Amino acid sequence: MKKLILSIIFILSATLAFAQVTLSPATFTAEDEVTITLDVTGTPLAGTQDVYIWIFSNSDLPAEIIKKDGLTNGQWTNSADAAKMTKTGTNIFTFKFTGTTLFGQSPAELINFGFLAKTKDGTKQTQDYKPYKFDPLVFVPMQFRVFPSKMDQTDMTTVYFHQDLATDQNLQRMFDVKVNLVFYNDATPVPAVVATRTALVTVKESNILYSYSFIPERLITLTAGTKLTKFTYQFTGSVKDANGANVPVAGPVTEVVYTPFN
Amino acid sequence: MKKIKYILLATIIATIWGCKPEEFGPIVGSEENFLKEMQGTWSLTKVTQVDQNAVSNGWPYKQLDITNIYPYKELVVSFQGDASGKPSTFTITPGNSPKIADLNSGNWSVDNTKAPTVITLTNNGQTSTLTLGSYANLKNGKFYLKREKKVNGKTILVYQYEFTKK
Repeated sequence: MKKLILSIIFILSATLAFAQVTLSPATFTAEDEVTITLDVTGTPLAGTQDVYIWIFSNSDLPAEIIKKDGLTNGQWTNSADAAKMTKTGTNIFTFKFTGTTLFGQSPAELINFGFLAKTKDGTKQTQDYKPYKFDPLVFVPMQFRVFPSKMDQTDMTTVYFHQDLATDQNLQRMFDVKVNLVFYNDATPVPAVVATRTALVTVKESNILYSYSFIPERLITLTAGTKLTKFTYQFTGSVKDANGANVPVAGPVTEVVYTPFN
Repeated sequence: MKKIKYILLATIIATIWGCKPEEFGPIVGSEENFLKEMQGTWSLTKVTQVDQNAVSNGWPYKQLDITNIYPYKELVVSFQGDASGKPSTFTITPGNSPKIADLNSGNWSVDNTKAPTVITLTNNGQTSTLTLGSYANLKNGKFYLKREKKVNGKTILVYQYEFTKK
């Protein structure tokens, strides 16, 4: 019982800790520009005007993996000006970086990063926020994918289900495959659902491949000025039970964040 | 022997006299050719999405033919020229096709009249650019445009449009 309570406390504290950090885009490679947004409310830095980032690569990985501090870090008791985070609101700070540039490591060397926020002289600091994974630059076949890999709300997007790559037995056997789509706007701090479309009939491109293509403005009604920031997709279908009856099943929900083209 | 000498001398003189630089026609067409050939009414016959990220990383799934997902083939574009053959007005009639540019009418211009690569569409201060693909098939009634979407100057996604002259 004691172990259970401790586990719950640990999970809750970890969840609360991560709730203070937002990364944009949500998924990124070591060559993408990433914006960290940190809310220091409830940390020793709450109310502080000048906050500095202390960032590091490949946290908590085996010794043979090269770990580096961010080139902007400076010294613990005297952070460099380049490490100063931009204040965008009360207790809200942002920092932009590109992994390969900030750590001076190649994409192949960068697996994850972590960071903390501190005062310039290091007398106050937050806890560590880590690890945040870089997407690989090599293609990894997965049961779910989208084409193109980056798009915005005006683009044709195709979601795919490669049934031959499914690891779950229900997904391997699923038939009558459909897809659910949920679109989100840019509301802060939490994007709100703009529209949901369920049970969209997929195209069976082969015995192992299902797809569904759409342009959001053709699929849902967008009021003028609505900006979509992401969508989620979930493939659903049926399997037969022991009596031969159809039983509904659903795959996991996958999130896709729109890319702001410029 | 003397005769042979004269014949050789005459042959050398004739050879040297005959070696003159030959004038070749222009490799690219004159400006009137391309610009005039681009003018007219064109139907959209094929649309391809290219994931430039996948291309540069050497990943599979580099491009997708999306022509028949929405009625792209309903779209018709018309490029007009003035009396001297220079670009003047354009109209895009999309029908039920998704849009391929931000403007549907106005004026058009090119970056280089002899070898155009970029078409700029303008209307009331608004501009929209499309990149010209190969114009080797202009004479055969095929015309290619590209729309590139970029992040910080890096091309991420490309739409390739194939048009056929009406």
